[in-house]
Amino acid sequence: MNNADMTADLDTPLNNDKELVARTQGGDPRAFDELIVKYTPRLYGLVYHMTSNHEDTNDLLQDVFGKAYRSICSFRGKSSFSTWMHSIAVNMTINFLKKRKRRQHPSLNDPDSNIENDPDFIAATSNADPRHEISIHELQKKLNAAMAKLSHDHRAVVTMFDIQGIPHAEIAKIIGISEGTVRSRLFYAHRLLQNSLAEFRKP
Amino acid sequence: MSDEHTHRIIRLKRYENPPEEYYEEFLREFHYRQRAELLKPSLKTLLLERFSSLMLEFRVPASAYAGATVLALLASVAIWHASPTTSSTSSASYAVNYSQTPITIQKMQPVSLRVESPVSADQSRLFPTSYLLQARPANHESPLSF
Repeated sequence: MNNADMTADLDTPLNNDKELVARTQGGDPRAFDELIVKYTPRLYGLVYHMTSNHEDTNDLLQDVFGKAYRSICSFRGKSSFSTWMHSIAVNMTINFLKKRKRRQHPSLNDPDSNIENDPDFIAATSNADPRHEISIHELQKKLNAAMAKLSHDHRAVVTMFDIQGIPHAEIAKIIGISEGTVRSRLFYAHRLLQNSLAEFRKP
Repeated sequence: MSDEHTHRIIRLKRYENPPEEYYEEFLREFHYRQRAELLKPSLKTLLLERFSSLMLEFRVPASAYAGATVLALLASVAIWHASPTTSSTSSASYAVNYSQTPITIQKMQPVSLRVESPVSADQSRLFPTSYLLQARPANHESPLSF
């Protein structure tokens, strides 16, 4: 499973989550293992794209699930389990980034080879400087450099909306802000990204 | 560059994924960390251990701790008893005792020096002239006693 399948995965029935949560609260740790297997890929993407560091992502994700495991008995189901987990992940990641004053050297994952067949990738690389063929890794560096210029809050909404395909309403519930604030943050973040990614502008 | 174009460019980051085996290993590591967390001593235990090792550096014998604790308790009790606000009955022991036998002064006549009229001739031969203290002979009683 990879981040590209994230949007389809959001449509899985919530009953499954409710049942697994109920079993976990009843004392069955294997039910929580199933929740870990289900949510690790999507939460990994969320944390990774905010930190741009694989090692930090791994440690943070372990802490996220650890906190969720210790707190699951107090989960009352007012929101969906997915919203709850995403909320924990976003808050812990933002707190981590705030404490980490000095920016770490990025530790990036190699892009999946399927990117070469993506129309958007082809269009982006063809729109760039024709004298210099942009490689996948160069594109990756430029995208991460552009994301690094965003604030933690703006990077969070860009990650959830643009990269993971989470709807505005769901993002608002996860972060605890209004849908209008989500849209305005996205608008501002896109303006900044456009300045950073000007070389990929369509002719 | 439009918002839609920006969205499509940034969306390419979704292809950045960890190796496939990472997710299998993640669950194993989660279990390992949970077990390690259970083995970790509590903060209270850690502080006690550090204090003990510090005392060992000073070579303080174990019996000294018990002695120090007893002394501290005794000092606390002594200070508590010595405090003037702790007990209302103890103040009476320090009060001045005014119940002693009071001083008594016997009432005596004041002394007066004056010469009485001389006695008659007949009496003068029997009773020679003498100075009288207020027409009374001098008091030969014992002096004042307190």
